[in-house]
Amino acid sequence: MKKILVVDDEESIRFLYKEELEEEGYLVECAQNGKEALEKLSLFKPDLISLDIKMPVMDGIEALKRIREIERRLPVILCSAYGEYKQDLTTWASDAYVVKCADLSNFKSTIRKLLGLS
Amino acid sequence: MSNLLNTYDLLKSIVQLSTSSMPIQVKLDQMLQSISEAFQSSQCLLLKPEKIDKEGFLSRLLSEKKPLWVEDRSSLQKENVLLEEESLLSPAFACIPLYDAMSSQGILYIGFSRPHPFSSQERDILLLIGEAIGGVIRSDCLHQKSEETLLELAALYEIEKTVTATLKLENLFESIVSSGLKILKAKGGVLRVEDRKTGELKLKWSVGGYDQHPLDEKIARKVFHTQVPLSLDSSGEEKPSFSILCAPFVSKGKVLGTLTFYDKDSDSQKFDEKDFQFLLMMVNQMSCTIENALIHHETSEMACNHEKTVKELSTLCELNKTLLTTVNFEQIIHMTLAAITIGDGLGFNRAMLFLVNEKSNTLDGTMAVGPDSAEEAGKIWSALSQRKGNLSDLITQLSPEGHSNLNAIVKGIQIPLEQEQCILSRTVLEGRPFNIRFPQSKEGWLQTRCERGCHLGSEVGCYVSEHLSRDPRVYSFATVPLWGKGRVIGVILVDNLYNQISITDEDIRFLGMFSNQAGLAIENAILYRHLEEVHQELKETQNLLIHREKMAALGELSNSIAHEIKNPLVSIGGFARRLYRTIPDDAPEKRYTQTIMVEVARLEGILTDIYHYTHDESSAFKECDLRKILEDSLSLFQERIDVEGLELVQEYSEEVPQINGDYHQLRQVFFNLINNAYQAMKGQGTLSLRLHSIAKNGAPYAQVEVEDTGGGIDPENLHNIFNPFYTTKDSSLGLGLPIIHKIITSHRGQIEVDNQPGTGVKFIVTLPSPEKEKENGLKGS
Repeated sequence: MKKILVVDDEESIRFLYKEELEEEGYLVECAQNGKEALEKLSLFKPDLISLDIKMPVMDGIEALKRIREIERRLPVILCSAYGEYKQDLTTWASDAYVVKCADLSNFKSTIRKLLGLS
Repeated sequence: MSNLLNTYDLLKSIVQLSTSSMPIQVKLDQMLQSISEAFQSSQCLLLKPEKIDKEGFLSRLLSEKKPLWVEDRSSLQKENVLLEEESLLSPAFACIPLYDAMSSQGILYIGFSRPHPFSSQERDILLLIGEAIGGVIRSDCLHQKSEETLLELAALYEIEKTVTATLKLENLFESIVSSGLKILKAKGGVLRVEDRKTGELKLKWSVGGYDQHPLDEKIARKVFHTQVPLSLDSSGEEKPSFSILCAPFVSKGKVLGTLTFYDKDSDSQKFDEKDFQFLLMMVNQMSCTIENALIHHETSEMACNHEKTVKELSTLCELNKTLLTTVNFEQIIHMTLAAITIGDGLGFNRAMLFLVNEKSNTLDGTMAVGPDSAEEAGKIWSALSQRKGNLSDLITQLSPEGHSNLNAIVKGIQIPLEQEQCILSRTVLEGRPFNIRFPQSKEGWLQTRCERGCHLGSEVGCYVSEHLSRDPRVYSFATVPLWGKGRVIGVILVDNLYNQISITDEDIRFLGMFSNQAGLAIENAILYRHLEEVHQELKETQNLLIHREKMAALGELSNSIAHEIKNPLVSIGGFARRLYRTIPDDAPEKRYTQTIMVEVARLEGILTDIYHYTHDESSAFKECDLRKILEDSLSLFQERIDVEGLELVQEYSEEVPQINGDYHQLRQVFFNLINNAYQAMKGQGTLSLRLHSIAKNGAPYAQVEVEDTGGGIDPENLHNIFNPFYTTKDSSLGLGLPIIHKIITSHRGQIEVDNQPGTGVKFIVTLPSPEKEKENGLKGS
């Protein structure tokens, strides 16, 4: 079973993602910010990270940088409310960029693609 | 002389005669008669001194003042006896010279036919009688002289009386010359006076036509310059002979002019010293009067000029005051033309204004004031004459004559400025007035016949005869340039078509003065109008800027709000989807959840739109179906339209090309258009949606029309509707149409408005098909 770490400061989003992804058959662990995600990284050893950008304590951009220092090949999906960071050089190190949407089908298919499941 | 009684009788007769009131000649004749009878002489004569030849012996007797007694001619030594004196050498005779202290009065002669001894008594008696005759002659002379003096005095008095009776120069000159003629008994007289401005000696009055003679002016000039009076007799060889008296008028050492008299009435007579003296006296007397009259004349002329100037200035002042009452361009030019045409103003019949149009380099007819016909002119003038109030009131009361034919004609006139034949262009180019008194002449008439279709010619100047069946020779008009600050901004044309009063240079000068003022006022009005426009623009720009700033702040706010609500929206939508999947298809909750999902999706779309508008993010273009977009957009209003009973017309053509676009953005476009239409109709009317394909330049386009019957857009706001943040609705942010415009433009499409104020408005959106896009892309690369 593939493990996914969902990092988001909004509890409702964490809850929705956990529910949806568990239904898809993944093992899901959540973190509230980049710092907590880094702490859980070595313990949980996820196969993929969904990383929100705007977060308190440590934002997604900083977290991505730290993660890449530890896990170079771990697939990371950056999630944001709009496409504002899409063209940003700071996000180039991610594997995918997904604009948040109530319809999660795009998100889910991106995950499957990155995990080589489709 | 025989006895004492005879002697007594003779002396008695002589004394009686000398004291009688008979004329002198009769008196003398009777005296001589008495002497002759008493002495029984053959002849008794009185030889007048002027008849005595200076060469003869009588003259010698006269100078010696001694009586000559010849008792027998034979004893007389004939010395210096002239031929005519021979007859006086009677056999016996006596010559008694008559004289007084001043002059000799002649010789009393008594002749006898035979030798006659003169007794001492006879000698005494004759000497006594001689003294008596001398006394008679002397007293007669004195009497004559005193009578002449009296006459002269009377003449002078007469002159003085007539010349002081008038200060009118012409009358004065006339009376001086005619009195002089009367007294001097001259044939002609010429009076000249110096023109103070030019220094010329000008002819003022002439009788007898002597001023035509070349000598006259020469003499007058000489006397004028030398200030020496002249008495001249030219006789003999020169024919006709002249007798001339000329004297200068000198007052306070200054020469004013000359007075000349010519020829005595009787040809044989010449002017004598007495006449000359009289003339001198006369000019002395008259000089002062003439100077006074000249001064009076100059003063009254000056006063007249001053009065005229004051009147002009007060009129100008009044007109200027009127011009200052407004800065409105139309009012100013109407007032200007009214002032020119009103009787108390400049009083021309018609006035037309042409302004220079710098952009087109033409002279454009701007306004005209004046009656269209003679009858109308009469009506206006009689109406005006009954109005009361001052000039400025009258002018401001006159309403603009927008309807007059003349005004319409003039407004339609446009004359190229380079057309040098036109008098109007010339007025601008040369910057000077033209007073065309005889339009038919080469200088005026022909040049106003504008060959390049200047209507002015046909209506105003050139073909007046044709149009009004009047003689064009009596028609005259004038133009003056209208000066702004250092440049000619237009032309004013005036004429007196109806009363045909000719236009004087004085009129033009005054018109020029006024138009200088009017020019400045008009230029100020133009500047003010321009300023107002700029001010209005600035105000609009400022409002827009303020609005934009406000909207930018609002945009920023809404951007952050958009971020804040995105996450909750995603979870609401996400869980709704989860619910939807778990609810059985037949349960009513299925539809509820679906609505939540759809609305969340729409909200997400709107948030994305705002984000895109504020971030200028490129749209996600893909092939889309306009019909579906239209239906989706409409579906959100479907329920409300059904409830309110709005009429809905949907005309979707079958073959509409697919277009390349962003579904969300396009849906927002039509959502907004339908929403605007829905709101405008306020619950009643017809909403029409049409979709069809059109071809433009051979390329296929899809065209969508959204039409309502909501009364249309106020034409004042029409040009602003696509400006961002412009709104007439209090509740709106004014982003609707600008976003639509932005989206359509980013889709390389077009949006047009067909506005029918009072009825409704139709928005027409035209979008290119992908084929066209590809072509464009290829062309672009």
